[in-house]
Amino acid sequence: MSEKIIEKNKGLVKADFGFWVGLYMDKFYDTFEQKKIIGNKCQECGAVFVPPRNICGICNIKLPLDQNWIDVSDEGILINYTRTAYKVTDRRARKAKKLNDIGMVQLEGSDTAIVYPLIDFKEDDLKTGMKVKVKWKDNPTGGPSDIEGFIKG
Amino acid sequence: MGRQVAIVSAGYSEHASKRSDVSMPELVNEAIEDCLAKVPSVELKDIDAFVNGNMPAFEGSNIPELWMTDWMGARNKPLMRVTTGGTTGGSVAISGYYTVTAGIPGIDTVLAIAFEQQSQGDTSVGLASVAYGEISILNSLGISYDQLNRLLSAGAAIGVAAYQATTYMSKANITEEDLARVVVQNRRNAAKTWWAHLKMPDLTIADVLDTPYVQYPLRYGMVCPASDGAVAMLFTTEEKAKDMCDIPVYVNGVASVANETAVLGYDGSGSAQLDPSEQLGAMKSADLAYSQAGISFPRKEIDYAEVYAPFPNQELMWVEKLGLFEETTAPEMYETGVTAHKGELPVNCSGGVNSTNAIAASAMERPSEAALQIMGKASNQVPKTVHTSIGSGWGGSLNLITLMAMSDEPKRKWK
Repeated sequence: MSEKIIEKNKGLVKADFGFWVGLYMDKFYDTFEQKKIIGNKCQECGAVFVPPRNICGICNIKLPLDQNWIDVSDEGILINYTRTAYKVTDRRARKAKKLNDIGMVQLEGSDTAIVYPLIDFKEDDLKTGMKVKVKWKDNPTGGPSDIEGFIKG
Repeated sequence: MGRQVAIVSAGYSEHASKRSDVSMPELVNEAIEDCLAKVPSVELKDIDAFVNGNMPAFEGSNIPELWMTDWMGARNKPLMRVTTGGTTGGSVAISGYYTVTAGIPGIDTVLAIAFEQQSQGDTSVGLASVAYGEISILNSLGISYDQLNRLLSAGAAIGVAAYQATTYMSKANITEEDLARVVVQNRRNAAKTWWAHLKMPDLTIADVLDTPYVQYPLRYGMVCPASDGAVAMLFTTEEKAKDMCDIPVYVNGVASVANETAVLGYDGSGSAQLDPSEQLGAMKSADLAYSQAGISFPRKEIDYAEVYAPFPNQELMWVEKLGLFEETTAPEMYETGVTAHKGELPVNCSGGVNSTNAIAASAMERPSEAALQIMGKASNQVPKTVHTSIGSGWGGSLNLITLMAMSDEPKRKWK
């Protein structure tokens, strides 16, 4: 299949955009530096949010910034997964050499799931409900990519 | 005939050029908390529906209303999004009003939210995609963005406002000093408004005139800042309003009117406006909103006005076009203190858009401040008793005007 390009726009305007992560996420990422994961717990229904939130959408109440923080495990259960033949981090890149797995993982002690790459799995290995654990970067800096992905637990 | 609608509260986040301490949902949440703190009997769960708006092109974060749903308390509740350029906030407020007045079963209390966190993105580029819709056509002809800016204006909204300023100045026969006087009044007022951005309690006319031109006749010291901030307003029915607060503010008239968009007819897409300060949209908005509200003599009946004006010439132009003063007399009203905090008809005691401009929030901060002045809860509360007030918005290239007229009496009692 060949690419179809009508015409390249010579006067293309480019701009950088970003977003401030905010108070709750800042606290969340900070703990990555110690290879730890935290979440916050709703004082009413007890739901544990990873990543943390400032309002429990179920109860519609505020979760205070200075309260209800709990440590969660860096091990969890694979809730769901998918495979792609394209590079996850670069959509312009054509097919990757090997298949990439991405999965939704519910960390032990939390009621939500986070999505990260699944590392070193063969197709037959992957099963929903299986145990997985975080693979940390060697020198974490307190940012989202401190978690490289999940490996077999 | 719709239901009578009342405003029971309004709240703000702190505004600054960079709110890098909070995420966009957290910024919005600040305004909601401030809004609900003023009505202790109301909790997030008591809100039946939500209206949300910003200019996503400015931050580059699209459909923000969806990823901040929980932060607004809107999970599993009716949610509508409105975006109309600079008037976004005005349109969001009007949509809040419409949602209540419609009388849909189970929808009585509506929270309207407008915000902008401009520090996340490139506002000028975002604006180019809005105000200069024709940019893509010219780009495809090989005219680059840089050249386009030089051809048409100095860029952003000031390029549009400069033409309004020069035509107004020649019509009213005024000088830059008259423009600077408006700025001084606004920035000094902003100093007394807790959430405002540019607080300059000691600013003088000479200080303003001592800054370089951005684009003649507008100097650096005269133009609005780019702010991060959020505002929330709570609308409900007349019956429920009485239980929620002491002085409900009744929305008695709303209008949103546009006239021809072509700034100077530069793209050949429409008729050119020969007089950018003509503002037929503003005059029509005023006619509509005042007739709904039963206001026959705006100058006499309106006690307080919040007029959307990022640039001082616009404030002079619009107080006239909205019927508060006779044509070309506004500069005199600023000179003699009529529009001052202690004046006969105070204007923009919050400091106005000239002091704080979180784009989408700005056009809602006008009706919200106008409402708080009636309630007696404004940060820079005027000494006189305010019974009737207005809040306006401006957006598009030269042309879209929103207006909300409100009072401490429901309109049917006047008729």
